[in-house]
Amino acid sequence: MTGRHFLTVVALVQGVLLAALIVLIILNRWFRLRRRAQVHPRVIQLNDAMQRWALGTADVASVLLRLARLPVPLAVDALVMWSVRVPGDRWRKLATALRYHWWARLVRANSDSARWWQRLQTARFLAVAATPEDTPRVLRLLRDPHPAVHIAAVATLERVESAALTTVALERLPRLAATVSAYYAGMLRRSRPLVVQLLLKMLRRTDDPALPRLVEFAARLNEPALRERLTALTGHPDPEVRVQAARAIGSFPHTDSIAALTRLAADPAWPVRAQAVRSLGMIADPATLPLVRDALHDPEWWVRLRAGLALTRFGAPGRKLLLEAEVGGAAGPRDMARLVLGLSTQALAEYAA
Amino acid sequence: MRELIHVSDQGILVYFLALNSFYAVLMILSIPEIWEQTRLADDDDFQRIMQSDALPPITLLVPAYNESATVVASVTALLTLEYRNFEVIVVNDGSRDDTLDRLRAAFDLFEAPRTYPETIPTRPLRALYRSRARTRLLVVDKENGGKADSLNAAINASRFPLVIAVDADTLIEPDAMLRLTRPFLLGRHIAAVGGTVRVANSCTVEHGRVTDARVPRRFLPGVQVVEYLRAFLFGRLGWNRLGGNLIISGAFGLFRKDYLLAIGGYRTESVVEDMDVVVRLHRHLLRHRIPYEMPFIPDPVAWTEVPEVGRFLARQRERWHRGLLSAMWQYKGMLFNPRYGRVGLIGVPFYTFGEALAPLVEVLGYVITVVGFALGIVNVQFALLFVLVAWGYGMLLSIWAVVLEEVSFRRYGRVGDLARLLLFATLENFGYRQRTVWWRLKAFLTVWQQRQVWGEMTRKGFEAAKGQTGRRVDG
Repeated sequence: MTGRHFLTVVALVQGVLLAALIVLIILNRWFRLRRRAQVHPRVIQLNDAMQRWALGTADVASVLLRLARLPVPLAVDALVMWSVRVPGDRWRKLATALRYHWWARLVRANSDSARWWQRLQTARFLAVAATPEDTPRVLRLLRDPHPAVHIAAVATLERVESAALTTVALERLPRLAATVSAYYAGMLRRSRPLVVQLLLKMLRRTDDPALPRLVEFAARLNEPALRERLTALTGHPDPEVRVQAARAIGSFPHTDSIAALTRLAADPAWPVRAQAVRSLGMIADPATLPLVRDALHDPEWWVRLRAGLALTRFGAPGRKLLLEAEVGGAAGPRDMARLVLGLSTQALAEYAA
Repeated sequence: MRELIHVSDQGILVYFLALNSFYAVLMILSIPEIWEQTRLADDDDFQRIMQSDALPPITLLVPAYNESATVVASVTALLTLEYRNFEVIVVNDGSRDDTLDRLRAAFDLFEAPRTYPETIPTRPLRALYRSRARTRLLVVDKENGGKADSLNAAINASRFPLVIAVDADTLIEPDAMLRLTRPFLLGRHIAAVGGTVRVANSCTVEHGRVTDARVPRRFLPGVQVVEYLRAFLFGRLGWNRLGGNLIISGAFGLFRKDYLLAIGGYRTESVVEDMDVVVRLHRHLLRHRIPYEMPFIPDPVAWTEVPEVGRFLARQRERWHRGLLSAMWQYKGMLFNPRYGRVGLIGVPFYTFGEALAPLVEVLGYVITVVGFALGIVNVQFALLFVLVAWGYGMLLSIWAVVLEEVSFRRYGRVGDLARLLLFATLENFGYRQRTVWWRLKAFLTVWQQRQVWGEMTRKGFEAAKGQTGRRVDG
């Protein structure tokens, strides 16, 4: 074959490919339009059936029939959407009905698929339609290597109470990336009593590198049963643990909390001091007012800022101290008092968040 | 002479085959990438988690030089992005216009003391301002030192572990920051993430947001839409599977701050600071055997205005190519160096031989063809066939990019826009491509003369000044 022949073949192949790509673009558009035209009425029918079923004017069979007529991803989307609109008891009836429906069995079978997006679909489905019998399947999905899958699976905790699921999720929580961990935390909050019991044990593992994340999670629970254990952690050698513990006990206006925070306000690590002052502002015990005022003199700008903001939470006495600092001789407290007193309500709210 | 032309011909043919085979590989690799990315982008659960309150906090770095006309609108748009925890640091790089005054008036700025160390040396700071109205905003006023210097000043001032470099004239989609953090949610060791930059010309812009994406009717901006699609949708997606990208657009890219600090921030002497910083990051992380990824993800989108006049486009392309040449020269030690893994064995060689030297080879091909014609030693049919194949391949790649856009994100919904995309993808190879070769060729001359002059570009601005809520950029 000469070079000319080779190029001729290449040119021909290119021409065919170009034509094929243009046909592909046109077909893709046509297919999407056609699919939308076909599927859209079915989505409307499903929504209609769901609405009537939710109101008690239709039976669950009509919903199941219409779910099966939709492509699986759209049906799962619809279930996810309706799961937040229908009351829990009624929704459980649908979940039970879906347990034996052929369409739902197919979706469940995908939990072992080699393709992560199919496992994801199953996880999303089970997150809204799991029954206690699905626990082993959900446990598998919770341990799935693909983050999208286990993130979807953990949402099952919203609807299924299971000690096994809660334990696995809580063990996994501190080892996850921060954002995923926070999402897990949101789900675990639903199983509060069990989570508190487990946390009380886990917070005793003081050499656990995951401790700061566990304390952070415990702080979000605002659970009085954890107060004592969290207060004990304010003496932990890791400053990150102390920061999280200081944040956590700010929710408990207790003498032990105030004593611990008073000690942390003189911590060598400035993030700990900043958080301690902030938490003292949250408790707003008038006896700690001089301590918070003194924090306005801290060499670290962020501690001064937190002190200034904390003073605004003490009401009139705090504001008076800020006004005094504004005209005082020390530059650091003066600048900070000016800044805080000049902040708008929106800005104060943003800082408080 | 005949022998020389013959050998050169063969060499160019081999180069052509090798380069285009590599493009074919990128094209194939882009398929599973876009498949995975579109599925993740559509996942509602991910949208939900991305709106949780524990997202990694981010600092937006916004260098501004003489941006008086657009700075308030741009900063307002940035401050209203959908993200829980972020701050915006605008660096007024010694603007000669009233950029700072406009910021001061619009955001009720007050001077604040500097409370951070100058980790990366920069030109002297004049003042630091915080806003009473928007606590997320910090404005750094400093002496003029260029974009890289401004970015370094912003990195010094930033509080958060992740930073996004944004041009002051770039429009970021409201959820783009959320989407850009997606790789972090996947638990990967991320050093940097690149998002897509699209062409804003002709789009309808309301309140700093692109509300209706259109393909321009004019040739120059229109053909750049295709170029951007090709560069982002299959070029960079393909590179995700080949060891990561060597370019993360300076207009929109996310970086881990500790890594930027470790390499000393942006290099002020570099002509294209975005490419330079990415190559240095690769070098640093590979040298220190730090596991990392630098993925490109296609769904976070920023929109930018591209030059509509040939003169400005020529300067831009000449500068880009000059930057590429200097970066490849600067980091020539990475070329074919197994110590740098796939970056040293695939990335740097491709950018050196397939991108930096490509205009020289292309021009050489044209010259040899003409000389060959003159001497009667080039077969006319063969030469024409070769040119046809070369152009056809270019069209194929561009149309492939359109296909990827159509099967994934479909920002251009109208049939007219699709038709224009296909038209520009076809016409790109007739005249436009040769002009870009010429502009890029001029970069060799400039490098030779050791000139480092930044081209200027006149921007039209995205929104009308007459109080309308939106308009088309090209009118």
